[in-house]
Amino acid sequence: MQDKSPPSGIDDYHLIELVDVTKVFDTTVALSRMNLYVRRREFVTLLGPSGCGKSTTLRIIGGFEQPTDGKVLFEGEDITRLPPYKRRVNTVFQRYALFPHLNVFDNIAFGLTIAKVHRPEITRRVGAMLDLVGLRGMERRSVDALSGGQQQRVAIARALVNEPEVLLLDEPLGALDLRLRKDMQLELKKMQQRLGITFLYVTHDQEEALTMSDTIVVMREGRIQQIGTPKRIYDEPKNAFVAAFIGESNILDAVMIRDERVRFCEREFICVDRGFGQNKRVDVVLRPEDLTLVPAEQGMLSGVVMSVLFKGVHYEMMIDCGCGALKVHSTSMAPEGERVGLSVVPFNIHIMEKVGEACPA
Amino acid sequence: MKRSSFAAPYGLWMLVFTIVPIFIIVYYAFTINGAVTLDNFRMFLEPEFVGILTFSLWLAFLCTLLCLLFGYPCALFLAGRDMRRATLFVVLFVIPMWMNFLLRTYAWMTLLEDTGLINRFLEWIGIGRKRLMYTENAVLFGLVYNFLPFMIFPIYSVLVRSDRNLEEAAQDLGANAWLVFLRVTLPLSLPGVVSGVSMVFMPAVTTFVVPRLLGGGSFMMFGDLIENQFLTTGDWNFGSALSLIMMGLIFISLGILHRFNPDAESNGAVW
Repeated sequence: MQDKSPPSGIDDYHLIELVDVTKVFDTTVALSRMNLYVRRREFVTLLGPSGCGKSTTLRIIGGFEQPTDGKVLFEGEDITRLPPYKRRVNTVFQRYALFPHLNVFDNIAFGLTIAKVHRPEITRRVGAMLDLVGLRGMERRSVDALSGGQQQRVAIARALVNEPEVLLLDEPLGALDLRLRKDMQLELKKMQQRLGITFLYVTHDQEEALTMSDTIVVMREGRIQQIGTPKRIYDEPKNAFVAAFIGESNILDAVMIRDERVRFCEREFICVDRGFGQNKRVDVVLRPEDLTLVPAEQGMLSGVVMSVLFKGVHYEMMIDCGCGALKVHSTSMAPEGERVGLSVVPFNIHIMEKVGEACPA
Repeated sequence: MKRSSFAAPYGLWMLVFTIVPIFIIVYYAFTINGAVTLDNFRMFLEPEFVGILTFSLWLAFLCTLLCLLFGYPCALFLAGRDMRRATLFVVLFVIPMWMNFLLRTYAWMTLLEDTGLINRFLEWIGIGRKRLMYTENAVLFGLVYNFLPFMIFPIYSVLVRSDRNLEEAAQDLGANAWLVFLRVTLPLSLPGVVSGVSMVFMPAVTTFVVPRLLGGGSFMMFGDLIENQFLTTGDWNFGSALSLIMMGLIFISLGILHRFNPDAESNGAVW
């Protein structure tokens, strides 16, 4: 049921599997009948707004929460009731959770000393991790004396040094500033590819998810909305929620007249989607960058420019077409108040089922 | 008006009732009838007095140890996850503290005496009467009972503010419940332990009423000795010298405890 084929380098082997996992806190349902599998060496991101159940999913896999119902499988084995310390996964916590009474070296060595690894071996492996995260020479520092970015690196090293099968990351970059976050995204991705470890990553930042993941799982209110590669999720959002959450988009009410014919803004358009039935109410997603500015008389749609913002690479214009304001990204600019035309190619008209009218995912 | 001037009334209070008395004590300790001398301190070196000091230190040490052994698990329990449970138990622990400790000690006298409730119970279950009052154990028991909350609360206040994420992180890294406690919870609670130990040990060394009530005067502690000099013997000079020795001991033990405190600022423990 999951529409994903493994990107290159990933074993088509289900390392972790959630089967009908449901989690209820008091009266609120955090997860409802969630099914998901993660392949070996895959970078999977759980993406969604806060409260969508993504962190709960991670905590269930880490062993910190017990599902109300359902099973967690690891290499096919049921680990639902296994305590965290017996699981072959490690976690990078949201606020790092470094041990304040230990220095950098002892923080990273914590898991190895618990596992009673020999001292020379510990020194060697911690050293290798310090090199990996670029903290060589800071072994004796107190973790409180480190910057946010450095603490983040210690947290990653502390988890990775145990050579886990799966690394769970709970919004690990959330506390960093934008610049540092971008750098760390690339670094994490490189690390994951070099070490060949499976990453299960939680974030609410769609750009982060698109940049790093092999597979994105979009979640909302404890339910999976869509699973797919970043490109697939961006290009073919399954519903208006996914479309709105991933990237910027214009979402319009529309009627699917028949296959390859859709009507919105009081005009009929040719599109490429089929199989929605006839005269069915649907949502149409138009990405701002897919709308092209043309002279008013040549446009499929026409409207008046309401506002213009300069965004660096492009201009962002709001254009009132009579059926609501459309957001348009374009490298050319039309002044406020001018009447312009808009055109869009059939391939870029994305048709989606109305949320709620069909069971998503 | 400067903010520091708000503390002026208290400053005055300190001056009149703490600083000035200390100077008076120092004066008395180093003089006899106005003549400067060290005789007061020399007198203390008699085996009888040194013995009393040793006994006081020993009893206070035992009391602190027992308070720690009972208090730590208790604090751990109170700081547990279940908030409703914790609030109830914290209240239960606080209620006895609202009562004057003399009253509480008197209450124990009636429980422990030869015809008291406990002995009657022992008789009833067939063990027979035991001599409970006026023993060293009764004194020790009274001390532990009175000082236990002062051990529990500093530890509790540190534990309850501790970051639960750290315990999860330790579990995540392979530590079972015991190792989590040993490697994370315990070391992080040391400021509370240090604070608790000093709040029990020092008052326990100087205590004087509990040994008299529960020990029947047969076990004199250092506090009793000092009190005797002022109120019974009327030897203010010797009493002052003993007080200074006491203060010296307190500062020394404070210094020692401070070295055990991993972070000297003691991040918000009671002192």
